[in-house]
Amino acid sequence: MNWLARLFGEPAVALSPTQAGRLAAWQALPAADASLPLAQGRYVVVDVESSGLNVNRDRLIAIGAIAVVNGRIDLNDGLDIVLQQDKVSDKANILIHGIGGTAQRDGVPPADALLTFLEYLGKDPLMAFHVAFDNTMISKALKRHLGLRFEHPWSDLAYMSPALYIELVHRCRTLDDWTTHFGIGNFARHSALADALATAELLLALGPRMRHRQIDCFRKMRDLYLAQKRATSPLAGM
Amino acid sequence: MTAPQALVAATLDHLTRFSPFDQMERAHLAWMIERSKLGYYARGEVVASPDAGEARTFFIIKQGVIHGEQDVVRAQEDATWLELHEGECFPLGALLSRRNVNSTYKAGEDTFCYELAADDFRELLRMSPAFHDFCTRRIANLLEQSKQVIQAQYVKSTSEQQSMTSPLSAVIRREPVTCAPDAPMRQVLETMNELGIGSMVAVDADKRPLGIFTLHDVLKRVTLPGLDLATPFSAVMSPEPVTLPPHALAYEAALVMARHGFRHVLVEETGRLKGLVSEKDLFSLQRVGLRQLSGMIRKAENLDSLIHAAADIRQLAHNMLAQGVTAEQLTQIISTLNDLLTQRIIELELEADPAAREVEFCWLALGSEGRLEQTLNTDQDNGILFAVPDGRDAAAVREVMLPFAKRINLALAECGFPLCNGEVMASNPKWCLSLAEWKDTFDKWIFHGDPMALLYSTIFFDFRPLFGAEHLAEELRDWLAAESPKNTRFLHQMAVNALRNRPPLGIVRDFVTGDGHTIDLKLNGITPFVDATRIYCLAYGLKATNTLQRIREMAGPLNLSEQDAEAYGDAFLFIQLLRLRLHHEQCQLGQPLTNKVDPDHLNALDSRILREAFRQARKLQTKLGLDYQV
Repeated sequence: MNWLARLFGEPAVALSPTQAGRLAAWQALPAADASLPLAQGRYVVVDVESSGLNVNRDRLIAIGAIAVVNGRIDLNDGLDIVLQQDKVSDKANILIHGIGGTAQRDGVPPADALLTFLEYLGKDPLMAFHVAFDNTMISKALKRHLGLRFEHPWSDLAYMSPALYIELVHRCRTLDDWTTHFGIGNFARHSALADALATAELLLALGPRMRHRQIDCFRKMRDLYLAQKRATSPLAGM
Repeated sequence: MTAPQALVAATLDHLTRFSPFDQMERAHLAWMIERSKLGYYARGEVVASPDAGEARTFFIIKQGVIHGEQDVVRAQEDATWLELHEGECFPLGALLSRRNVNSTYKAGEDTFCYELAADDFRELLRMSPAFHDFCTRRIANLLEQSKQVIQAQYVKSTSEQQSMTSPLSAVIRREPVTCAPDAPMRQVLETMNELGIGSMVAVDADKRPLGIFTLHDVLKRVTLPGLDLATPFSAVMSPEPVTLPPHALAYEAALVMARHGFRHVLVEETGRLKGLVSEKDLFSLQRVGLRQLSGMIRKAENLDSLIHAAADIRQLAHNMLAQGVTAEQLTQIISTLNDLLTQRIIELELEADPAAREVEFCWLALGSEGRLEQTLNTDQDNGILFAVPDGRDAAAVREVMLPFAKRINLALAECGFPLCNGEVMASNPKWCLSLAEWKDTFDKWIFHGDPMALLYSTIFFDFRPLFGAEHLAEELRDWLAAESPKNTRFLHQMAVNALRNRPPLGIVRDFVTGDGHTIDLKLNGITPFVDATRIYCLAYGLKATNTLQRIREMAGPLNLSEQDAEAYGDAFLFIQLLRLRLHHEQCQLGQPLTNKVDPDHLNALDSRILREAFRQARKLQTKLGLDYQV
């Protein structure tokens, strides 16, 4: 059945009228202004936990997110949601993110969880460390459970950080490297929410260098990320 | 909007490591966290400043360091006067009184702060009594908490050590120092000397004790027989030492020692050496009472018993620290007992010296003894003030008094009060004077002061009668109180001198001056208070010598607010308490007593109060600087 579905395109997702209404309301929201100054906008910093690192096979288990509003992390504007799983991820994986079998089964039904995420997000720009992974996991889940093609603006701290701190490129690669460099703690590594908070703190810590280079709005942050991505891709220079 | 529970919980866990958040109800804290934003400040960035208008934000440092700096007009190289760390919050005064902040707050390193809007801050004040209490009575509160911590620590240590029914496992202090049986004696003796230990135990490869050698054995087994120091330890040690298991009780060890005439017993568990108990360890288990001790001193018939009493005074000081006696009471008790001890020494010497008995004199306590602020490492500062009978001259009386004073100085030294390096002692002819000569000396200092005179003033002007004709000392004090306010140049010079010694700005690595990453609690902490209060009292003709007493007396004429006076006193006492604890720990470890403390060894609460205390010292100095235009 699955391979057929894949062959003939996604089947129409069955949403309840309420769910369909919530999705339509989100879709109707105006897009965020990408030229809004950093100190005035709202950014959502996100991190996901999944059943594994294979974006094709593994499933989204949890989303953690925290908003940076007017240049400050708003502790009251966060999201920490576990998606209900029909199949609990294997033990080795549970050991990494710490979301046990019961918690996985007790999670929020995926469609509702994802709608909650969208409503929390609004149309505000997304930030993450290694967007490719987070974006793929979220997009796949949105496609599967809401039938939504998720084309949302992202920027990636995994590229912005080395672009701003060229002198640290050889020392800092992972999120841990960068947060350690800035002395940023993490109250529970591999919890989506804690990692999102650490990523948000990293974003604030990049602030002075960004100001120095007049990177003062989301568009410029995204440009910085994309330029760095091109420059460091294996095809660069060819 | 919601705050994720995991985030609130993690923030709560973090904040409850600090005061006052550890005292607040969790619901109130959660309320606060839900309303907080998290801001970031790069090193050097301004967080709050006086020209930003009324303070609108309450900051709690999540990580990093914030420096408070005085306004730009007076800002100089040492403009930093406040240093705040993780878990500390600011600005309290400005928020409470709805005004601008007084200082510029800058990030000393990359810093994250939780930020709460002023309205929420005020709501929290209404909601949480613990928070309200903290914000309005901050120093007093911190001190109270620190005292509780100290008490808890010491109560634990004394209840463990108090009784002769404690198991030996609780009495053993350290890992025993051991050597191999074939170690040459030279090496063993050198090690014992270096570590300042009284005994050495030889063990085999399995840590089984083979024999013991103590300092007591040196005379008979090494020195007198002229032993070749290459001789192996095994040939000199007492083999097959007596051992007891760790669960044996202290009095059993005492019995073994009494029966065999040993000074040490080894503690052994399943064939392995666990520790060593000395006679001294057991002796210190017996508590000494204040009344009993003063009785002992009064009845002492010879120097030997006074030497014992002096050791007991130190032991008593420890027990009192344990009971949470305040620094003020404790230093006064130490001073009182030391007074008694000195008085008894003088009485004994008088009995043996008929010529001195004929002289009407007063023994003067100077320096910290004069201020009733003695700690455990005070060297002697004393002098004699005598009356000159008709028909004799001062020089002749001095001839009588000097040898008498010398014997007293030496006896005091034997009791553990080292002779004064600067020769500020009654046996020095310069400090064994008649009333007229003292007035003359003081007069020269005040009206023709040179640098040495300024230094002497800080020791001698704190004089207090300790024995004998008190009316002579009173007359000198009255004279000084009348004369000292007359020369403002002298007071100005004293202020200049006092302000050369600045309390450290903070206690982070960068700010600590002084050798080996230490803070000198006496020089940097106590002296600024002592110096400033002395100057004000001399200026206003006030007669107190004790620093707290001086603060109380000067509050009126100086228009000090009750709060300020209290804060100075609390700060001074806290530093004294830290000093006493430091000395006590050094005593226990058998180390020489110093006033130097490594800030990294202080617990978070103490280090925070110490910084606050230094801040008070700087505040008092700023006032002194302004009043005397330094």
